Amino acid sequence: MNTRTTARLAVAIAAFICWAPAQAQAGDTPLYTVSAGNKVDAHTLSGWRTWRALACERCHGAAQEGMVGPSLVGSLKVLSKDQFKETVLKGRIEKGMPNFDGSKMVVENIDNLYAYLKGRSDGAIEPGRLQEIDK
Amino acid sequence: MSFHTRFTCLGACLTLAAGAALAADSDVAKLTQDPKVWAMQAGDLNNHRYSELKQITSKNARNLTVAWTFSTGVLRGHEGGPLVIGDMLYVHSPFPNKVYAISLEDQSIRWKYEPKQDPAVIPVMCCDTVNRGVAYANGKIFLQQADTTLVALDAKTGEELWKNKVGDPKRGETTTNTPHVFKNKIITGISGGEFGVRGRITAHDIDTGKIIWTAWSTGPDKDLLVDPVKTLTWTDGKMAPIGPDSSLKTWEGEQWKLGGGTTWGWYSYDPETNLVYYGTGNPSTWNPRQRPGDNRWSMAIFARDLDTGMAKWVYQMTPHDEWDYDGVNEMILADIKVKGQPRKALVHFDRNGFAYTMDRVSGELLVAEKYDPVVNWATHVDMKSGRPQVVAKYSTDKNGPDVNTKGICPSALGTKDQQPASFSRKTGLFYVPTNHVCMDYEPFQIEYTAGQPYVGSTLSMYAAPGSHGGMGNFIAWDAGTGKIVWSKPERFSVWSGALSTAGDVVFYGTLEGYLKAVDLNGKELWKFKTPSGIIGNVTTWEYKGKQYIGVLSGIGGWAGIGLAAGLTKGTEGLGAVGGYKDLAKYTELGGVLTVFALPDR
Repeated sequence: MNTRTTARLAVAIAAFICWAPAQAQAGDTPLYTVSAGNKVDAHTLSGWRTWRALACERCHGAAQEGMVGPSLVGSLKVLSKDQFKETVLKGRIEKGMPNFDGSKMVVENIDNLYAYLKGRSDGAIEPGRLQEIDK
Repeated sequence: MSFHTRFTCLGACLTLAAGAALAADSDVAKLTQDPKVWAMQAGDLNNHRYSELKQITSKNARNLTVAWTFSTGVLRGHEGGPLVIGDMLYVHSPFPNKVYAISLEDQSIRWKYEPKQDPAVIPVMCCDTVNRGVAYANGKIFLQQADTTLVALDAKTGEELWKNKVGDPKRGETTTNTPHVFKNKIITGISGGEFGVRGRITAHDIDTGKIIWTAWSTGPDKDLLVDPVKTLTWTDGKMAPIGPDSSLKTWEGEQWKLGGGTTWGWYSYDPETNLVYYGTGNPSTWNPRQRPGDNRWSMAIFARDLDTGMAKWVYQMTPHDEWDYDGVNEMILADIKVKGQPRKALVHFDRNGFAYTMDRVSGELLVAEKYDPVVNWATHVDMKSGRPQVVAKYSTDKNGPDVNTKGICPSALGTKDQQPASFSRKTGLFYVPTNHVCMDYEPFQIEYTAGQPYVGSTLSMYAAPGSHGGMGNFIAWDAGTGKIVWSKPERFSVWSGALSTAGDVVFYGTLEGYLKAVDLNGKELWKFKTPSGIIGNVTTWEYKGKQYIGVLSGIGGWAGIGLAAGLTKGTEGLGAVGGYKDLAKYTELGGVLTVFALPDR
């Protein structure tokens, strides 16, 4: 647990330094709220539900660790939010990533999906099933 | 079009002129009777995967050595295998579906074909970009591309003769099956049960590719090609008419339009009855609460007249599927004794863990027994109703959405997936590559969007608990009694099609990449580590007096990429992730055909 917390902290610091502009754009509202690793705010929960409904784990792995598709734990440390949105909505067809702009659920939840995956990438949210805080 | 016609004439008009009287039949059935060639993916019309060749025997198999190898130049999963006709070998690759014609004399590439396909099909292929191989008849090679295009090539030159697209990838429709040539028709199917695709098979004219008939798995009677009175199914211990609207009555609203029942397996054909046999896949979605009813005719065996497509009989193995137990696995036609009586049987090792022996002429249910003792979702198949008796605690419908049903055996991979078994005409037994994997299954509510995944369940898979720790078995099965004769444990799922021979040797590949030869008692005689994990099917042929064994290696497919799916908590399911991640210790991607023979003296 200790190593994990340290790693999480390091990642958080790195993310803060590297992605200050993105953070600034996001304003004062935190991207996601999490407690006990698997209880999250309603928006982040919708992000996870979107991840689950579109069967993203078939390529990216149940824990976002990567299979045929890349590890999103890694990718979300590199991609800006705009790059993330572009990739998910328009796809990277040649590489096998479909465009999800035809999915109402993805289009409506793209910010929530980003929040969920960012939380996973930061190590703050655990893999697997989530529930809403205070429920 | 005139361009194509010209080529057709160069290639085929001579044949037509010479054999106009025989125009109704292609040459493939006759070719399969010559053990020196391997003219269909399964070796013959019956899906036997058996060869009369016996130069390689249980006595000398330990001396087998590599004769030659060939790289397909493609990564990802390599299912299916080569065909051998005369002095040529034809082998395919996964997407982009290359085809190579290789001279057996000097292994030179005589021609190479690579279709131009929209790469947008890659992400809509459910379980890797596999393809189960080409077909041959009348001097033509038939390829069923990933983007659903069925194409005929001149076997001598690789020139395109005709093309016909049977589906729409934008709606999630793709194809992975081999085309099947029966008499003068090509039968092909469709994949996409995870995208809400409505399954069907189509019969095509061998000379033009034109569709002769289309038979749907779900929907109104006219689409199903059934007769409410004449099409029969097993009912109360006898065959009885299916009645009107047999499919529509078993779906709520218009869910049948997204009904699944896709058809990507191995079909067979009996010239005596003129019946084509094939299976249909899972109903869509994987969340059973969203589709109350039996969901006919997903998860079913169809017997159809080859000329008209009309169904003579149909049997549903898993009414109202709650576990993704597709019914597409191969239909093996064998004349065997069943409970002491000689029968024209159809034997089918279903994903649901039961092996079914049917009378293939009448459609009667004769035997339905578990071919892995760990199967637990049903206690047994009630032989009167033909229905599996579902165990309540493993019912993902009863437990409902957002509840994780644990410890279901088998997993969605089935006790066996598409990897075809072999029937030895010599021993009368079936040699079956199997999975020994269980799962947790958590369905959830899902909306349909055309071309987007329509799965609706999170899965976690792991080696069968309380067993030998491995994820597979290679077994010998007696379909007349419904009993396992022997079972050989394997570390991973056996995802390779088996071959048995008159030399008393049975061959299969493993996910680590070993091609293995065992004797009729399952004793290992020989093994060889090929360049990658094997999910291809073993084939054999004879050239210039020598027997060869060939197999495609190239890890991938569902077993290779998908098995780490579905953690429900941080640590849970590590058995599955751990088990299959172990594969990385043994093998890497890359498609290679390896050919073996006995050494020259």
